[in-house]
Amino acid sequence: MSPLSSSLLNPRLSFSLKPLFLFSQSSFAPRKFQIPRQFVSAKRKTFSDLASEQSSATDNGGRSGRGGRSGALSPSPVVEEVQRIDVNPPKGTRDFPPEDMRLRTWLFNHFREVSRLFGFEEVDYPVLESEALFIRKAGEEIRDQLYCFEDRGNRRVALRPELTPSLARLVMQKGKSLSLPLKWFAIGQCWRYERMTRGRRREHYQWNMDILGLPEVTAEAELISSIVAFFKRIGMTESYVGFKVSSRKVLQEVLRCYSVPENLFGKVCIIIDKIEKIPIDEIKRELNATGLSEEAIEELLQVLSIKSLTKLEEILGGAGEAVADLKELFSLSEKFGYSEWIQFDASVVRGLAYYTGF
Amino acid sequence: MSPLSSSLLNPRLSFSLKPLFLFSQSSFAPRKFQIPRQFVSAKRKTFSALASEQSSATDNGGRSGGGGRSGALSPSPVVEEVQRIDVNPPKGTRDFPPEDMRLRTWLFNHFREVSRLFGFEEVDYPVLESEVLFIRKAGEEIRDQLYCFEDRGNRRVALRPELTPSLARLVIQKGKSLSLPLKWFAIGQCWRYERMTRGRRREHYQWNMDILGLPEVTAEAELISSIVAFFKRIGITESDVGFKVSSRKVLQEVLRCYSVPENLFGKVCIIIDKIEKIPIDEIKRELNATGLSEEAIEELLQVLSIKSLTKLEEILGGAGEAVAELKELFSLAEKFGYSEWIQFDASVVRGLAYYTGIVFEGFDRQGKLRAICGGGRYDRLLSTFGGDDVPACGFGFGDAVIVELLKEKGLLPKLNLEVDNIVCALDYDLQGVAAEVATKLREKGQSVDLVLESKPLKWVFKRAARTNAQRLVLVGNTEWQKGMVGVKILSSGEQYEIKLDELE
Repeated sequence: MSPLSSSLLNPRLSFSLKPLFLFSQSSFAPRKFQIPRQFVSAKRKTFSDLASEQSSATDNGGRSGRGGRSGALSPSPVVEEVQRIDVNPPKGTRDFPPEDMRLRTWLFNHFREVSRLFGFEEVDYPVLESEALFIRKAGEEIRDQLYCFEDRGNRRVALRPELTPSLARLVMQKGKSLSLPLKWFAIGQCWRYERMTRGRRREHYQWNMDILGLPEVTAEAELISSIVAFFKRIGMTESYVGFKVSSRKVLQEVLRCYSVPENLFGKVCIIIDKIEKIPIDEIKRELNATGLSEEAIEELLQVLSIKSLTKLEEILGGAGEAVADLKELFSLSEKFGYSEWIQFDASVVRGLAYYTGF
Repeated sequence: MSPLSSSLLNPRLSFSLKPLFLFSQSSFAPRKFQIPRQFVSAKRKTFSALASEQSSATDNGGRSGGGGRSGALSPSPVVEEVQRIDVNPPKGTRDFPPEDMRLRTWLFNHFREVSRLFGFEEVDYPVLESEVLFIRKAGEEIRDQLYCFEDRGNRRVALRPELTPSLARLVIQKGKSLSLPLKWFAIGQCWRYERMTRGRRREHYQWNMDILGLPEVTAEAELISSIVAFFKRIGITESDVGFKVSSRKVLQEVLRCYSVPENLFGKVCIIIDKIEKIPIDEIKRELNATGLSEEAIEELLQVLSIKSLTKLEEILGGAGEAVAELKELFSLAEKFGYSEWIQFDASVVRGLAYYTGIVFEGFDRQGKLRAICGGGRYDRLLSTFGGDDVPACGFGFGDAVIVELLKEKGLLPKLNLEVDNIVCALDYDLQGVAAEVATKLREKGQSVDLVLESKPLKWVFKRAARTNAQRLVLVGNTEWQKGMVGVKILSSGEQYEIKLDELE
């Protein structure tokens, strides 16, 4: 048996090196490349000299019984002074040791499998993108917390906060070579820069599924269907979770009555999205700052409190697209078999500026 | 059928937006939040007034026949001025559209499967780490090309150039809770910042396998064994590739004869690693600058040219560890059954400062490509981070060279999109039934591309061909009245009707 029980070989940790002792090089390791001439002109030792030096220095001699190496480690080619590093990952990020990795793999496998069952193809994009891709001036939280910086070539880049703009970029790049409808999915890490006082994460993985080339509501219905399928796979039922559904067109229709220009829609939606997060007076104030009249704001907030599609139809009338689209979706959800999972809720706007429908 | 052929809807691109025309908002979209009071005091329009405005503005009116929405897109809630963006990914990075993603997934699946077969556990770490983790002052190329920057909190961080320091950090973090030996693997993206004049990549994915807690050479032998297993899985043989093996201890022994202090070993190795990349005189000059005498340099270079372990033993003698370990490895290679794959080559040192023992690299025998993979033993890394040392060895295997090699050998797999079923309702009202069919098949584990719009059968067949669908399931009124759906097997052309609950 190879001798392994040298006291230097703790079965848990092979060495207990005391960095200060072994590595206090400062006395003879100048930072510059020049070394004292004394080393250069020292008499060259022979290999056998070396071997005897090593034998006396270690417990087991140059070799252990079976031809394996000696248990003790010979003084190593130490590369430099020790840097005490922080053993934790950067603030707001996570390591995935085996147990955590197993859970993540389990989760991602479900994401992938559902995507596959729905006939979606996987894609990926760089985690680093030009900052320009994410600069939307609508006041979204995603923009305030953009993890951007200047690279070594002074280019403004960002660690992506979401995957959709990259998808759009790639679709534009591919142009006419793509055959529609496109059904693509991705699982990618997204980043934000947030003040760590709130103890929140700075990165997370996001599963995205997108359908491009279909104007019909059947696309949204299919997407919701895929999430229902995912929930069912992992044991979630409609008694635990549900989907609140509305349409940006509801807000559009209200705002158009007040001739609010379309370029403000995004901003208004972002403000509305904060309804459950900041006080209502703050919401009203921000809406006012965009130029909405008190009357418009009142009507908007009233409409947003509607939780029944029938009621919405009463208010908006049957002619607009908002109600038509929503009725279509609810009808499809019946046919697709998941009507128990979804409900209408006019207050849902979501926090991204670019949504145009659901 | 829903009208979809509005000129605004190019079948290839849902929008053919001419940014300048539709979105020239600059005239009335001030950047500030204030909007001209005129909008605010305008008379409120009614919803029906709105609806009639919309009808006249679009081709199809507020609603199209079938209850779907109109084909034309209503003037959207445009969020702001258009930014012309670069459709390419950032310099040196790659997008993975479906075909490229399929190849990557295929490759990574092999990495994972080999790792699993060898009993390794998968781990992962953040792609962003503190810069400190990578600052080694040995002059490595990896340091010159570190993709570092200051984050918004003025902290110096870097996109990792390699995975090993993160592994070391996590191992120190976990401390005594880990039971050794540890066999971990990871597949992660690594980054470097290089001047783009050379047209090189700035990111690549790397498969790493590491064994911690084993000082014996059997660990290195097992690692090389796993790479051999990987090559075999993808059709690469020992006539295509090989491993050049040496040990840092060879250099150590030579340098110790000249009493060169150990803290210079790393630097010397980095210089030696450049032997085939820069002129020999430049190498000699750099070695001289570290303080080595001409005599030491000559001897070093001579030893580095040795390609036979026997010759090495003649020169170094049989007492040192370098020769002993290498002989052990070659002996194990015989026993593990891959001695045809490895050869001794004293010039292999590898470019990372922290290797302490055996080092190896995979190479293409035709000599056309860069190193396929590389690794070695690094028993002293953890202490450089303030932790307790643990014997460790591992390798990194990139995703770029291997693909080039497969192309060279004609071994790239043909991977097409393949869907099991395309399900289509022939009549609009049967959309729900089609969805039911889709759900049923998906519950059985079959992939289904559900046609979500009214399309002619010809279009459906084309899509089926493109997606290599195995079969087509059609839901039409006539069949459905009998509780049946139509099935067509696309490879044989066979078709039949079947009851929905009998559909497999």
